[in-house]
Amino acid sequence: MTTAAPRSIDAYLKQLREALAGQDPALIQDAEYDAEEYLRAEIASHPDKSEADVLEIIASTYGDPEEVAAAYRDTEAKVNAALKPPVRPPARPPGVLRRFFSIYSDPRAYSSVFFMLLALATGIVYFTIAVTGLALSAGLAVLVIGLPFFLAFIGMARVISLGEGRLLEAMTGERMPRRPVHPGPPQNLWARIIAMLKDGRTWTTLVYFILMLPLGIAYFLIAVTGLSLGLALTAAPVVGALHYFGLTSVIYVEPEWLATKYMAVIMFILGVVILTTFMYLARGIGRGHARIAKRLLVTQG
Amino acid sequence: MDNILARKFQKDLNGGLVALVLLAVLAGSNEDLYGYEIAKRLQKANQGEALFKEGTVYPVLRALSAAGLLTSRIALSYSGPPRRYYRITEDGHRMLAAYRDIWRQTRNFVDRFIEAGTTP
Repeated sequence: MTTAAPRSIDAYLKQLREALAGQDPALIQDAEYDAEEYLRAEIASHPDKSEADVLEIIASTYGDPEEVAAAYRDTEAKVNAALKPPVRPPARPPGVLRRFFSIYSDPRAYSSVFFMLLALATGIVYFTIAVTGLALSAGLAVLVIGLPFFLAFIGMARVISLGEGRLLEAMTGERMPRRPVHPGPPQNLWARIIAMLKDGRTWTTLVYFILMLPLGIAYFLIAVTGLSLGLALTAAPVVGALHYFGLTSVIYVEPEWLATKYMAVIMFILGVVILTTFMYLARGIGRGHARIAKRLLVTQG
Repeated sequence: MDNILARKFQKDLNGGLVALVLLAVLAGSNEDLYGYEIAKRLQKANQGEALFKEGTVYPVLRALSAAGLLTSRIALSYSGPPRRYYRITEDGHRMLAAYRDIWRQTRNFVDRFIEAGTTP
């Protein structure tokens, strides 16, 4: 490497970021976080030395940014390879029907359905927090407690955003940060506030929170409609059979031509098609949403 | 040239060994440890040239944690960002035992040839 050895934590983190350029932003955030923990601890344990002096020996102990970046790249590749089940090409290309129903063996489809149902609740909570926080921040701005309140609000928004990322990674597999964003070099309160206001991620996080209400309502509606329609139609023959054997009392079916054996079969097929299509839709929505979330919640490197 | 090849050999060896050493350090500790502490313990154990850079410890800790061999919790610190403390899990103990056996077998196997090679 031709770049000069870093003489400060900031310079080190900057070189580390550059060395990891093009990697997953979530990985970069984790690597930065770990490096900062080490560097700050190292400086704290050498109170007699200056930051520059400590940084001088960092390359031989912690490793220079290039080396550390390589370690993260290698480990990430290995972990991904280990967590991903080996893909075995099928001996015979599966038939159309089999491929169509393969969605039922994909755990992501189920977790996406769960996410869609949950999204209404989280959407309401996020929206409430964002609107309340913004409104109170604006209202209290003229008072002494306005600033601390705003800082606490933004801090809470960041913690929630990390939690939402963990939830989304668990449900959709999209890589999200596993560590909070590192707070940057120690500065006075004003510099921190200004940096916070200038950081686009602060605002996109709030946009995400507000967006979650309409999205959550839409996801919830789609999930409830798809599930109830699909399951109800699929169950039509069962209900018909129960009635036939006299196990249920009276069932009202209007119009009458629906209450035939053939119609029960048609409804069953229709139900299976709707349910299966819905599972595909759910998985797609899960993926799409994770991508939106990553855009808005994670700083793009 | 020799130096580069030697370093590469060391790096290839370290690939799995760092995981073994980290599991052993955490298994032998009564309290939870955070990354910096672990790195310093390793450095202290090897007074001479460090066998691996401390920076390579962190990603391996995260990988072990993702594999369920370690659990972690976050605690605030005065000197910097909140620290992540690690503890070995039951799975981790089992894996450590398996790694240890493999390491002993490998060491004995390698030693047999190396000793034979150096003694005429």
